[in-house]
Amino acid sequence: MQTHLVMLVKDAAVFRSESTTMLRERLIEALGVEAVKTAPEDLAVYAFDAYTDGAPPSAVVLPASTRDVSAVVKIAREFGEPIVARGAGTGLCGGAVATAGGIVLSFARMNRILELDERNRRARVQPGVINLDLSRHVAASGLFYAPDPSSQKISTIGGNIATNAGGPHCLSYGTTVNHVLALEVVDHRGEVFTTSIDDAGYDLTAALVGSEGTLGVVTSAWLRLLAFPEAVRVWVAAFGDIDSASEAVSAIIGAGIVPTALEMMDSVITRAVEAAFAAGYPTDAGAVLLVEHAGVEEDVAAAETSIHAIVSQHGARSWRSARTAAERAALWAGRKGAAGATGRIAPNYYTQDVCVPRSRLPQALRAVESAAAENAVTVGNVFHAGDGNLHPLLMYDKRERKQVAAVVETGNAILQCAIDLGGTISGEHGIGWEKRDAMTRIYSTADLATMGRVRDVFDPARALNPEKIFPNGSRCPEVAPP
Amino acid sequence: MTATQERVRPDNAAGVTELVARCDAAGQKVCIVGGNTLEGMGFPPEREDVTLDMTALAGIVANERADLTIAARAGTPLRDVATLLAAQGQFVPFDAPQPHYATIGGTLAAGWLGPRRHLYGRVREYVIGSAIVLADGTIAHAGGMVVKNVAGYDMSRLYVGSFGTLGVLLQANFKTALLSPHARVFLAPLPEHTRERACAQLAALPIRPASAFWIEGFHNAVDGEDGAEGRILVSLEGSDALLERATRDLRSALGRAGVPDTHVVDAGAREAFERVVDAYVACLGERSITYRLFPFPDESARCARRLRELAGHFALHAESIVDVMNGDVVLRISDLDARALGSKIENFDDALHDAEPRAAVVAGKHSHRPFLRVWGEAPAAVDRMRALKRRFDPNGTLNPGRFVGGI
Ligand SMILES: Cc1cc2nc3c(=O)[nH]c(=O)nc-3n(C[C@H](O)[C@H](O)[C@H](O)COP(=O)(O)OP(=O)(O)OC[C@H]3O[C@@H](n4cnc5c(N)ncnc54)[C@H](O)[C@@H]3O)c2cc1C
Repeated sequence: MQTHLVMLVKDAAVFRSESTTMLRERLIEALGVEAVKTAPEDLAVYAFDAYTDGAPPSAVVLPASTRDVSAVVKIAREFGEPIVARGAGTGLCGGAVATAGGIVLSFARMNRILELDERNRRARVQPGVINLDLSRHVAASGLFYAPDPSSQKISTIGGNIATNAGGPHCLSYGTTVNHVLALEVVDHRGEVFTTSIDDAGYDLTAALVGSEGTLGVVTSAWLRLLAFPEAVRVWVAAFGDIDSASEAVSAIIGAGIVPTALEMMDSVITRAVEAAFAAGYPTDAGAVLLVEHAGVEEDVAAAETSIHAIVSQHGARSWRSARTAAERAALWAGRKGAAGATGRIAPNYYTQDVCVPRSRLPQALRAVESAAAENAVTVGNVFHAGDGNLHPLLMYDKRERKQVAAVVETGNAILQCAIDLGGTISGEHGIGWEKRDAMTRIYSTADLATMGRVRDVFDPARALNPEKIFPNGSRCPEVAPP
Repeated sequence: MTATQERVRPDNAAGVTELVARCDAAGQKVCIVGGNTLEGMGFPPEREDVTLDMTALAGIVANERADLTIAARAGTPLRDVATLLAAQGQFVPFDAPQPHYATIGGTLAAGWLGPRRHLYGRVREYVIGSAIVLADGTIAHAGGMVVKNVAGYDMSRLYVGSFGTLGVLLQANFKTALLSPHARVFLAPLPEHTRERACAQLAALPIRPASAFWIEGFHNAVDGEDGAEGRILVSLEGSDALLERATRDLRSALGRAGVPDTHVVDAGAREAFERVVDAYVACLGERSITYRLFPFPDESARCARRLRELAGHFALHAESIVDVMNGDVVLRISDLDARALGSKIENFDDALHDAEPRAAVVAGKHSHRPFLRVWGEAPAAVDRMRALKRRFDPNGTLNPGRFVGGI
């Protein structure tokens, strides 16, 4: 497969057919001129996500309601234009960019928290709500929303649901799918339907979460909230090298301890983080583990003793406990801002996202190191170690063709190594456009055709986010619309 | 219904694929059975030409102890998985009735929801991979042995709760959770005036119990003897230190609610919990029907009381289990004999669904069962579910008619 780092940027000023003009007129008629963007400079803004440059869409629409979404989908259908839903565009696999014309549905205006049911610990939100805003909003009630992708300050609930986003605390709380109770969805014909995990029948909610906008457009969701734990403690363990740190991670899990979060950063990352945020990480360590345990006091204290003992056995050079809430927050802010901090190392970075069985972590990290070395690429590792979910950041300058090629080569080698270790090609960022051709490396034709059957039912004409997830040219011939 | 023509018990995947493909081509209907522990769920099959008994396709395929993952064939009894995992300090919270007989495949297909899910999560959250035989005989794999995976649609989760109507599950892979070192059970009588207050106190405990039930009736099933009417059973799990504090908290919470005295069981705590779960589907011969409902926790005590009154209007005997932590209500309706039940149950079923549209039948051997609304009110997206069934099983070969909306 090819990892396409840079898509061909199509000229925004390409000749627009008469039909595009009519399409835009219809959209403006339906939603008002404020809600529809058509100027080339506006469209160009939506031709990106955090992975790639794509093509500018035919129009960008900012719906204000479910009814607007439904109207847009109906108009798109009339004109044969695909629909690409978009949250904050922080996706790392090209999922939110249009590949050939189409209408981008941006949820920037659908960003309200609609209901909070404190007693039953749940909230109903629109898809454009920013992840962290939800937790902030419900904090006064002693509640929080558990999935916490590092992008949580900007990424949206809609995008999180579509990618089944993970995050550091998903080690103990599970990924987004475990926290979605019900969905309201607009289908490929513009019709609204609802699903709930309490419904009898097939668990359509589970099928929709993680479907990357290819089965429907999510227009609201009931989400599960959790009560703040009684005790939270955060520790930093410093190691001489990545190898001993990753052995320690495998040992912690292997000993039957699952902390709330277990994150690793190598020295490339800690140095960048300290330069940017002075978060409190040692800069002379080869790797650090950021460990959090939350729960009842007794369990947290017991976890501290056992984890401390294990990391010491695996050669930890130091062990520090964050003393205050401010110290904890600083450590987390550094961790979650790590990718951005690498701007000091190189102008661009590419994040690979693979997941391996947890005991294979040491092997996987050695393979990352040698792949990077072979291609002379600077690599920084910052990732969800407890889950075996690696994120090597490959640094480069996108103006340098040779560097781009080297990064593509390295990314590929890492992908293959994860597969060889019994892992998968994406732990949390998704397949999108980037990895769709790699799907055949882990799934048989029959496996993919089975997913295709679900697609046939929900989007028979492939109008919703086409050219994502499924390998190029894999379309199933049989179609059975509902 | 026609009489079963053939019963097949393959012990390998090829046996399943060949059988299913053959039947699909010949227009024969296949009914899939595991341990038969949840046979009281769903409609009887529209037609059953071949019974596919999955119990010979059993055994652990992979036990990755250090990764906290395990893979088992669909016919493996839950108990086998639990025993193996317990020896290494792990578990998967299936919490389904009769784990000696219940199989992995049947439990997943039924989408069984256990009482500890408020603490440990639903079983579907533990499923990380699967292999399934589709109606045309092809095998499809999904996921793998990693704990995080977003490569394509999560097909395994879709199969959970699909009642064998999308395919025949061959294997499932799970991540495991850590088994608590200690478990303790509290039993206490629950006089009428203390009930709702006790439930509210339990739901608000700072250390969440692993499970908490308010039980009315079910004496033989739960206690093995006759006893006072209402009682609670609360189970705690965790370290020694945790149990100590939780015990204190629980005692004072129940005291505040006016509950007279609590009886602590340490040895046999897990068994006591399992007896309650077994009671969810325990039948009184042919003279009972058991429903299960899923109100929100803050409504469940009232819901149970209302339903018992409703049964009273029909002069039917009612027993109930309220799962305080999740809110589920289990309601067993019975009469002196099958005839007496038969004369009232359809009217009761109507009245029950007027009050609680989602009530589903989970157990009952009575011949009237097929005439009840066993899945409750059809969900909003039932047409899409039917379309999914058609796309997966166009000839309606697998478990025809057993599921929601006639799927
Ligand atoms: C610095 C950084 C750190 C990150 N850390 C993490 C992390 O820790 N864990 C993690 O999982 N990811 C992480 N990501 C990736 C990304 O933030 C997540 O994938 C996130 O869920 C995307 O949300 P978004 O709102 O930006 O969605 P977008 O990028 O706009 O869209 C993502 C996908 O969702 C679809 N979509 C969006 N809204 C809807 C909707 N309403 N209905 C249907 N489909 C929709 C889009 O079509 C697209 O396929 C990170 C990204 C960055 C840049």
